Amino acid sequence: MSIPGLGQFSSAATTAASAAAASASAITTISLQPFWEYRFEVPFSSSLTIRLLSGTAEKDGTELAPKNPYTFSGTKSKINTWLGCELEVTSDNPGAYDAYTAEHAADESPLVSYLNLHMKLEGLRSTAAKAMNTEAMGPRVLVVGPDASGKTSLAKMLTAWATRMGRQPLVVNTDPTEGILSLPGTLSAAVFATLMDVTTEWGGTPTSGPAGIPVKLPLAYYYGLERPDQNPKLFRSLLSRLAAASTSRLSEDPDVRHSGMVIDSAAVDASKPGDLDILAHIVAEFSANIVVSLGSERVTAELARRFAGQKTSLGEEIAVVGLDKSSGVAERDAAFMQRVREKAIKEYFFGDAKKNLSPGTQNIGFESVTAWKVAEAPDSTSAEDDDDFYDPGATDSVVEKVEPSDMMLNCTLAVMYAGTRDPPDAIRDANVMGFVYITDVDEKKKRLKVLAPVNARLGDRPLLWGSWPEPMVSLLG
Amino acid sequence: MASQDEGFLEDFRDALEGLQLNSRFEIQNLTMIARESTEEALVISQALQDHIKRAAPHKKLPALYVLDSIVKNVGTPYTIFFGKRLYNTFMEAYASVDMATRRKMDEMLKTWKEPIPGSIDTRPVFAPDVTRPIENALMQARASGNQQLRRMMGPGRQMPQGVPYRDSPTPPAARPPSQSNGGYIGGPPPIPGVNNAPYGQHGQPPPAQYPYHQPPSSQSTPQPPANIPAFQPPYHGSYGMAAQPTISTDALKEDIQGLITAFRAEFARNPQDPSIQSKLKALLDLQGILQAQNLPQDQLVLIKNQIAGLAVTIRAPPAQTPTPVPISQPVAVAPPPAAAPKVSIDSILGSGALAALLARGSGTPQASTPQPPPATVAIRSPPPQRAEPQQSAAPADPMALLGMLRKAGMLTAATPSSGSTPVPSLTPTVPLPFPPPGIPTGPPSMDNFTGDIAFNALSLKQFRPHLVPLMFEALGPQCTHCGRRFKTDDEGKKKKMAHMDWHFKVNQRIAEAEKSGQHRSWFVDETDWINTRETIDEDRIAAPGDASGTQGSSSKTPNLHYIPVPSDPVLKNSVCPICQENFKQIYLDDAGDWVWEDAINVDGRIYHASCHQEVTGNVAGVGTSNPYTRGTPEPVLGKRKAEDELAGLRGKMKLETA
Repeated sequence: MSIPGLGQFSSAATTAASAAAASASAITTISLQPFWEYRFEVPFSSSLTIRLLSGTAEKDGTELAPKNPYTFSGTKSKINTWLGCELEVTSDNPGAYDAYTAEHAADESPLVSYLNLHMKLEGLRSTAAKAMNTEAMGPRVLVVGPDASGKTSLAKMLTAWATRMGRQPLVVNTDPTEGILSLPGTLSAAVFATLMDVTTEWGGTPTSGPAGIPVKLPLAYYYGLERPDQNPKLFRSLLSRLAAASTSRLSEDPDVRHSGMVIDSAAVDASKPGDLDILAHIVAEFSANIVVSLGSERVTAELARRFAGQKTSLGEEIAVVGLDKSSGVAERDAAFMQRVREKAIKEYFFGDAKKNLSPGTQNIGFESVTAWKVAEAPDSTSAEDDDDFYDPGATDSVVEKVEPSDMMLNCTLAVMYAGTRDPPDAIRDANVMGFVYITDVDEKKKRLKVLAPVNARLGDRPLLWGSWPEPMVSLLG
Repeated sequence: MASQDEGFLEDFRDALEGLQLNSRFEIQNLTMIARESTEEALVISQALQDHIKRAAPHKKLPALYVLDSIVKNVGTPYTIFFGKRLYNTFMEAYASVDMATRRKMDEMLKTWKEPIPGSIDTRPVFAPDVTRPIENALMQARASGNQQLRRMMGPGRQMPQGVPYRDSPTPPAARPPSQSNGGYIGGPPPIPGVNNAPYGQHGQPPPAQYPYHQPPSSQSTPQPPANIPAFQPPYHGSYGMAAQPTISTDALKEDIQGLITAFRAEFARNPQDPSIQSKLKALLDLQGILQAQNLPQDQLVLIKNQIAGLAVTIRAPPAQTPTPVPISQPVAVAPPPAAAPKVSIDSILGSGALAALLARGSGTPQASTPQPPPATVAIRSPPPQRAEPQQSAAPADPMALLGMLRKAGMLTAATPSSGSTPVPSLTPTVPLPFPPPGIPTGPPSMDNFTGDIAFNALSLKQFRPHLVPLMFEALGPQCTHCGRRFKTDDEGKKKKMAHMDWHFKVNQRIAEAEKSGQHRSWFVDETDWINTRETIDEDRIAAPGDASGTQGSSSKTPNLHYIPVPSDPVLKNSVCPICQENFKQIYLDDAGDWVWEDAINVDGRIYHASCHQEVTGNVAGVGTSNPYTRGTPEPVLGKRKAEDELAGLRGKMKLETA
């Protein structure tokens, strides 16, 4: 007996998710018991729609609304449940997606420790909110770990859970490989006071129109490279800028101050002292007092040793805690990640399935473009240079002025909140106003064809040009 | 896709809201929507039942007719969804409408017990176990009145009345009464707990594991065996006194004592939950009343029903307890007599009930019947009228207490919220070893729950089942649009209202925005970002004036005046006619749009609000004390900075002078 909306009448086997995926029917009903996870991988070419029929379910900490359809494409993710649920999964191409149910027991699920962590943080937040001392700050949590250890998922979960309880945490992304509410190659921060759009990575940013799920307002700085060690000097300088702005926000916004920060970080390799240096820099700059290390005992041990006895600028102990990575972390290979970046750029200009955006195309002469190039500058002296902190006085050229050229074709450049005649440092330190994509370069006529989010003159804004995100050949194809 | 769903539901709700009269066309239309959206049956049935609950008394009957039309013309799955909460929906509506409407509801109820006329399906519209509790409750209420009233009610109920809107070929009520009730005369005796049927779906664990569970006597149905004759047609009149001593006060007291014990235990577990505290208080008060007063049977029945519902709530494991949905029920607000402990039937069925019944000597088509005067009065201002015969509303009043119980969310199990569709068989696997060791039970605080968690892997890995509910039901039911949770206390309700308002407005704007092109906005600049304050579910366009009253955390920018950035390209490039400078464009999250801050539109021309004030002198002081003149051109960078400061300062000044 199957009645629409009454999942409990379904007699379907509860474990047959992946088997059912291959069956002829495009609609599958999946029952999850508490702590189970429905893990799915949808290619970019097809989509998967999930509806919560009954019970409660969440994706990365954000609860699904009952009966509402959520459509995913180009996603490797999971839906988990604490109380049990029934999901209805509809695919436009049943053969294309891959899914299975992970049947955890309570003592196996890494989510349990994540939830405990959240509750602990929530206790600290509530203490901060109640403290007589108006300067009391909520916890600043740094999430670290090697590649594919689920750092970003944990950061997202902690954020979503905090938001659900009425907090407004500041989310900071210090991983240039992927962007948070911004494009790859940037470091960014945003306050999350409202739900995230679970069908996207972190939700949307403002557009000229309204949004059904509240958008978040990011503050972004342009790094333009993939990994922090490609130009540690620039990276640290930007971290300091980001930290200064974040700290200002915290000090002026009590809701955010009590909620604290959740800081995501780039993949760390414990064998590279440079990586650990960067983490130490982040801890210092953001006064992080809790470091959660996922999936690597070595990183945990290294950091615990490094921070032992250290105190934050607020005089707190720095706690380092090692947790298991979620066994469900999907392997996302280079090709998949490249598509993810491409999708992020596409969405920035053109919107997503829910909302179409109309970017503007402009034809600009070389003479009215001021571009600066961010180059790699590996830290050759890091071995003997103990100084973790960026010294503004020691700046040499981290960015250099360049003429537009063929090389810019298919590149995504950042438009900076600075003036074209500002010194390089000011431009480099400015925050990002937006991005443009170079669709065509005519060196003979000395003209550029530029895709910009807003159909208006760029004005006297300098452009920063890095190598990350890489040129996207098929963006308009 | 989501927006489409919301759209059709919105349509359905709108159409419901507009349904004032028994309009055949509108009811058919709503039925059509329901027929075409059976995959959304749950949402629709919830929307309709919520509407019936919320609607003004005079709009309840048309809405009930919609329900009737849907179950008769569409059938499953609606019958199942409506059936779950039918008892509550029906009884709450019944309690708040006038006598004339009640009789129509009686007629309708009668048709529900029978197959749809002309249909080959011989099953009744609603299963007997859905309709029987309603009938029982109605009879109980009637039985508590005097004999004469009951005799009067009998003939009134069997009045054949056409229901004009229906599609079904045969008017459902045009049947002899003997047939309408006959099926139940020889029917099975009432199953214990039959009145709990709407609660039963929550899959309580076996009662035995709860020490506070009451002995069988208290467990029994509100209809004790003595009541079996009540299944005969009510106008039979032969069971008169036999039905009276049905509920023993002692058993009830025992029940309440058991619940008090249970809630005390619950309170010790969840000291942070104010609802438990209020429930406990209400129970203690109720106990006091029972001891002090000798209540009439009908009151006892009502209390008993409440207690039964409550017992289900407390018995269900917390992980599964549906979130409380307070019910507003006019009859509960009506202050019945405190002076006269004997609460009359009037307080339950409304004053003038008797008169209305007497006036209804013969059946007349309902739509055209003029309302008997007393009933009409009852419609216009129900609570005061009902309270008329009584002078004072003492706190010791049992009905008021029931109201309190409802308010405190004790009726939870009876009215599952939309988000709490039960998942039986799943939840029992969550072990609930309450309370876990090391958790102090002290004043409500997050620390009490997290104090035992340490920042080490071992401590963090330990599953603490009591934390899970804090992420779910403790936060209230979910918004059906986006899944956000809202508590059911006053503040939560306020937030929920603002939130639904926000959804509504944004959906409207999305529809508008789809007509014109949209584009990604530039990110804001550092200073603006730092000064941004998140606003949740606020719509500043709606209330631009209240910003001066709100504190820093909720006001996005210090500026009070802004207008949406004009779409007209000419206007878009316009400058302030006074200072000849451009307008500063910022993104206002709560407005969901880009706006020009510090701008006002005066007779089609846009000015800086501050410039305009300076010139017109609307606000004393600003014109003279503002040291900033806006006429000096500055280099690009400097200007940006200067303007930021300027805007901030201007805003501040305005806040001071406003």
